Amino acid sequence: MRYEYRSMWVGVAAVAATVASVTAGADPDLEKRMGDPSNWASQAGDYANTRWSDLNQINASNVGRLQVAWTLSTGVLRGHEGSPLVIGDTMYIHTPFPNNVYAVNLKDQTYKWKYEPKQDASVVPVMCCDTVNRGLAYGDGKIFLQQADTTLVALDANTGKVVWTAKNGDPKIGETNTNAPHVFKDKVITGISGGEFGVRGRVIAYNIKDGKKAWTGWSVGPDSDLLFDPQKTMTWTNGKMAPVGKDSSLKTWEGEQWKLGGGTTWGWYSYDPKLNLVYYGSGNPGTWNPSQRKGDNKWSMTIFARDLDTGVAKWVYQMTPHDEWDFDGVNEVPLVDLDIKGKKVPALVHFDRNGIAYTLNRETGELLVAQKYDPKVNWTSGVDMKTGRPTVVRQYSTDAAGPDVNVKDICPAALGTKDQQPVSFDKKSNLFMVPTNHVCMTYEPFQVEYVAGQPYVGATLTMFPAPNSHGGMGNFIAWDAANGKIVWSKPERFSVWSGALTTAGDVVFYGTLEGYIKAVSPKDGKELWKFKTPSGIIGNVFTYQYGGKQYVGVYSGIGGWAGIGMAAGLTGNTEGLGAVGGYKDLAKYTTLGGSLFVFALPDGATGATAMNQR
Amino acid sequence: MKFWKLLMFSALLTGAAVAAGAADAAPYTVKEGNKVDQKTLMGWRTWRALACERCHGAQQEGLVGPALVESLKKLTKEEFHQKVMNGNPEKGMPPFSVSKMVVDNWEGLYGYLKGRSDGKIKPGHVYPMDASAQSAQKK
Repeated sequence: MRYEYRSMWVGVAAVAATVASVTAGADPDLEKRMGDPSNWASQAGDYANTRWSDLNQINASNVGRLQVAWTLSTGVLRGHEGSPLVIGDTMYIHTPFPNNVYAVNLKDQTYKWKYEPKQDASVVPVMCCDTVNRGLAYGDGKIFLQQADTTLVALDANTGKVVWTAKNGDPKIGETNTNAPHVFKDKVITGISGGEFGVRGRVIAYNIKDGKKAWTGWSVGPDSDLLFDPQKTMTWTNGKMAPVGKDSSLKTWEGEQWKLGGGTTWGWYSYDPKLNLVYYGSGNPGTWNPSQRKGDNKWSMTIFARDLDTGVAKWVYQMTPHDEWDFDGVNEVPLVDLDIKGKKVPALVHFDRNGIAYTLNRETGELLVAQKYDPKVNWTSGVDMKTGRPTVVRQYSTDAAGPDVNVKDICPAALGTKDQQPVSFDKKSNLFMVPTNHVCMTYEPFQVEYVAGQPYVGATLTMFPAPNSHGGMGNFIAWDAANGKIVWSKPERFSVWSGALTTAGDVVFYGTLEGYIKAVSPKDGKELWKFKTPSGIIGNVFTYQYGGKQYVGVYSGIGGWAGIGMAAGLTGNTEGLGAVGGYKDLAKYTTLGGSLFVFALPDGATGATAMNQR
Repeated sequence: MKFWKLLMFSALLTGAAVAAGAADAAPYTVKEGNKVDQKTLMGWRTWRALACERCHGAQQEGLVGPALVESLKKLTKEEFHQKVMNGNPEKGMPPFSVSKMVVDNWEGLYGYLKGRSDGKIKPGHVYPMDASAQSAQKK
């Protein structure tokens, strides 16, 4: 019943939106800023999440001369994920908890303003064990901060004064935030963390002007909560798209377990203005003990395509039905057009934690390509392209083994072949540049009881480098998403937990857990330049231009799950350790930190190179 | 505050007494490194269920939180009790007084961690000592 009303309302809203985009425009401010490559106006640089920059002053032939231009201490010794934003002559910097925000004048690196929120420290244990924040968003003259304590704050970009705040969760029941808010058109989108606390995931859209809630789309539960139209919301079924039908989520849970259903939404979001669809993935279902939650546990581990104005889901695709390994589906969903079998396809590409890279038609939701992006992935023999389901290898099924049985040598580990560290797209070669983990695990599930605000995990894990490989725990790879193939792979000693950046200068940048920022060629992965920062890098590389000069920057400050993982290897099970790799070695290379590094070519370097090239 | 300090001081004194007496009465019983008494077993299950390893490491070697194999060499039973119940939110340790499982089993947890710290209990899974406890576990 509610749906008929809703769809009627949707019709009206659609008309209204069209009118609005003609008159006021959605967010002309942000779209104009993103269109100018001098800025780094959103976390991924664009709506599509390509992490590509048209800047080319720094290029393959001169990148070797890159030097430190300036640095800045964030004052916080925790994992630094995400990146700053650059709008015109101002850089906006964020920190992990307590989530300070600094507006820095690019002219002289003085502070224009500082925002230092007071948050109840009781949120820290609920975030156990690291207090990362994946960055700010900009739009409509405002800076948006998603605090750990589930407060979304809109700040005046010029003064740092609070314009509005909204509360999107409750830390007392384990709800926190680590995700960056995202501005699309006239909305600010945010999610929720707490997949290890029995939190029920959802995405919330707020009106950018006043912070009024526009819609909430839940990951699990009744159709009305999911914002599903059982007849119109589609999913891949028997080789084609078909309606999900009534109670598509409820049917896949026992009793009321969906209320602790997980499907949290702490990753990155992308947006296609032409289709007016928002894309994102949901996280792991309820407890990590699979035998405690029979069924497919829909729609955890799922890519959602939702209408931005109404939140109604156009289509969904579940990567890992009935998760048995904590393979959250939250990784980013970059939107690119690809030539697939001779046809130009409006595609989306998703490198899942489960070790499979998916290419889907972003308009229809059709499954096009699903291939392993690390040959060591062993829990599945591959995706059945007709059903869209991965075929589980029984030996690695923690559900088949049952509680209190330690299942060994599962690849990848729970942190996935890739986690939140975002990929970049090379617009010249149409290849993705992918920071990956090369880590396997043992997994022992056990019965666990839910207590609000207490961990609801139910599995003990150990992690180690992929056995019988190069001994390292990561690779940086180039991926052909049209054909589902690795083009080249560069081994790394540790997981690459840093977001990549590709530029028109034929360079791709990324950071390492030892603390190196590296520039490599997108053609073959050949290393062109590296610099050791004081702490491990889990932030994302970004670039901007100021005063006619291109800069490249990154946060240096180890932490996050990788940082915890590094220490986890200290005296961990010895199988697979030893060799060259092992997180235990990380302590030899780096320690905690919290700083921003900005690099540029020395004066005259670009001119000299240009002359050489002539 | 003064009261608190006094309390801590007296706890230290009491602790010393307990530690002195601990030589002949370990707060746990263990055989073959991983077969333990029922109370210690419940302590380990509490450790596991509350996901303590997320901060203190799978083998109590310390991660974001301190290495308990070391801490338990210094902490008295009562200090341990206080720390677990009150937590240290600033540093990320939750106050576990809200968890029934911890309130019911904190002594067993102390015993388990003491056994780990003494090097008497091996890292990882522990099992009940006798068959009757085994069947209790299967329940």
